[in-house]
Amino acid sequence: MRTLTRLIIAMTVVAALGTAAVGQPAERGVTPTEIVLGTSMPMSGPASPWGMGVGGGIDAWLRHINAQGGINGRTFRFLIRDDAYLPPRAVANVRELVERDGVFGIVSQIGTANCYANRDFMVESKTLWITPACGADMWAGMRERNRYVFITYPGYVDEGIFLTKYGVESLKAKKIAVFYQNDLYGQQGLLGVKRGVHAFQAKGAKLVAQVSYEVIDAEVTAQALKLKESGADTLIIYADPRRGALIVREIAKVGYQPTLMSTFTLMDPMMFMLAGEAWNNIYLATYMPMPGMGDARTDAALATITRINPALARLPFNAAAGVSFVEPFLEGIRRAGPALTKERLVEAMETIKNWDGEMIRGVSFTKDSRQGINRMFMVKSERGQYTKLSDWYTYPKKF
Amino acid sequence: MTQLAQYLVGGLATGSLYALVALGVVLLYRSSRVLNFAHGDIATLGTFVAFTLLGRKLPFSLAVAGGLAAAALVGVLFFFFVLRPAKEASLLGKIVLTLGLALVLGGAVQVVWGTETLVFPFPLSDTRIYRVGQVVVSETSLGTIVTGIVLMTLLYVLVQGTKVGLAMRAVAQNADAAQALGIPARRIYALTWGLAGALGGAAGVLLAPVVFLDPFMMLDPFLKGFAAAVMGGMDSLPGAVLGGFLLGIAESVFAGYISFKFKTTMAFAVIILVLLVRPEGLLGRVYHRRV
Repeated sequence: MRTLTRLIIAMTVVAALGTAAVGQPAERGVTPTEIVLGTSMPMSGPASPWGMGVGGGIDAWLRHINAQGGINGRTFRFLIRDDAYLPPRAVANVRELVERDGVFGIVSQIGTANCYANRDFMVESKTLWITPACGADMWAGMRERNRYVFITYPGYVDEGIFLTKYGVESLKAKKIAVFYQNDLYGQQGLLGVKRGVHAFQAKGAKLVAQVSYEVIDAEVTAQALKLKESGADTLIIYADPRRGALIVREIAKVGYQPTLMSTFTLMDPMMFMLAGEAWNNIYLATYMPMPGMGDARTDAALATITRINPALARLPFNAAAGVSFVEPFLEGIRRAGPALTKERLVEAMETIKNWDGEMIRGVSFTKDSRQGINRMFMVKSERGQYTKLSDWYTYPKKF
Repeated sequence: MTQLAQYLVGGLATGSLYALVALGVVLLYRSSRVLNFAHGDIATLGTFVAFTLLGRKLPFSLAVAGGLAAAALVGVLFFFFVLRPAKEASLLGKIVLTLGLALVLGGAVQVVWGTETLVFPFPLSDTRIYRVGQVVVSETSLGTIVTGIVLMTLLYVLVQGTKVGLAMRAVAQNADAAQALGIPARRIYALTWGLAGALGGAAGVLLAPVVFLDPFMMLDPFLKGFAAAVMGGMDSLPGAVLGGFLLGIAESVFAGYISFKFKTTMAFAVIILVLLVRPEGLLGRVYHRRV
């Protein structure tokens, strides 16, 4: 009798455990009706225009997909945590999202230093990471370790080379200066310009000044004076929107008028509002068609997200960038089918070849490459608009 | 030489803002020995109120007056409703209360106005410039320096040349004795909090067109203003002005000739050096307590 009782208890325990196992989701952050995603963004502080635009764009696009019934029967829940552009807070946010909230993946994140601070944790924890918006060069040489990372964002080193090349070849730049944020973001841009200058030394290119600011600096008056002193005929800017706008205003104030070139991170039309007239005739590189440049699909997608969140109309480029970050991932989820797991998603993402989204174009991933795009083109700001200046410039894939 | 003059002009413009912030900090410290960590946030709130009033098509002067009044009101209300009831609290406790106010105001500004970077409309042009020889000064910089100096002078006249100022100084020296002589100490304290708030608001309004308006714009200027106050002497109004200008100029010249990366570090290194030589600050007085 005692043996029978023990047997019944043992069977009950086994049955209960079995039931619990069946009741658990097959994959962290995925239920039969929902996929939970998360991100850490600067929703406050000097880089908040990036966070609000990109984070808002992703959120609005996921709401749009949800309104259409989701993908394969699942809708999306998107958790945004504010890191104020501070790496320690970005690390805490991402750990909380992964370990406590149990997200399926992290979509984007902003700030090269912030992404770099999270890189090892993301790689070691084998968490899906879709297009961290930070200099993609930090993934170079990590082919064996980046199985769960997919990126459709350029590296600032490649961009710096392109800006210098265009400046020298098309704008007759000789004496080049760089104004940069003294962190990994600005330093990578600076490195790109240095490599570009090195490559075009024979054509007379020379780096005559490299002037930095710290993320806590309130104003950049002394930097403007230093840049003027350098006598550079071309100034390349790697800054956040606030300091980017400030420096072009400050150099105008001190009567310095070089050819101005800038990273695509300052492409949002809000720069026209912040810098006013000073944001005219700026040459910028971009990696996707800009809203308002005649691409109907891009304009339609922007109209969709601004209907959902009207505040995004003030940050159209960043909002569009947010959509471009999440689009390939959504395509991967579609291709992975209803039985969604992390491994199935990875395999599905690897089938994406020369794929066009509503915002991003020409995305390709393979088993060996997580660098979804490797091309840019040049635009120029004129009276509150951007005009396309060049064809695609393609650079070598690194990871 | 032209370069140096240009850096000096840039430093003067920045220094005048540091000096305004420092004056507000010192004004309160002199009267109550309380270090107000909410000074920057009160200034930010006043600037946002002015911004909102400008958005409602009020003339610039009225909008700024409204902003300054709001900043002053916050200071007065904080004194009456928080500091006064907590009069038995230790000095450290009162300082922690100002930290609490900073958090409350910072959060409130973010909730009401958001975290976006905004352009503060200003009647002076940032791109219209004047040339003195080779040295270039923008209209905004000139306006900032002149307004800063005018405000500092007015404050000095108020404190040193009026009955209210005399009462403020009396309360600062010995509140009980001043009250026994018929000076309404509570109202004088409240006035001091209001004045300090309005000074902070003025610094915010002058700073916003230069660095854009957002809830965090006073973070760096407050730290620097605070440092300037320490350097000049925490109980000396002229010391606060001197500290502000010296800090602004030192930063600008150091950044121009030596390094941008260590601009802020250098500023604090100079302060440490000054305090090593004169612990009471450049123009501060040494207090000896008889026991």
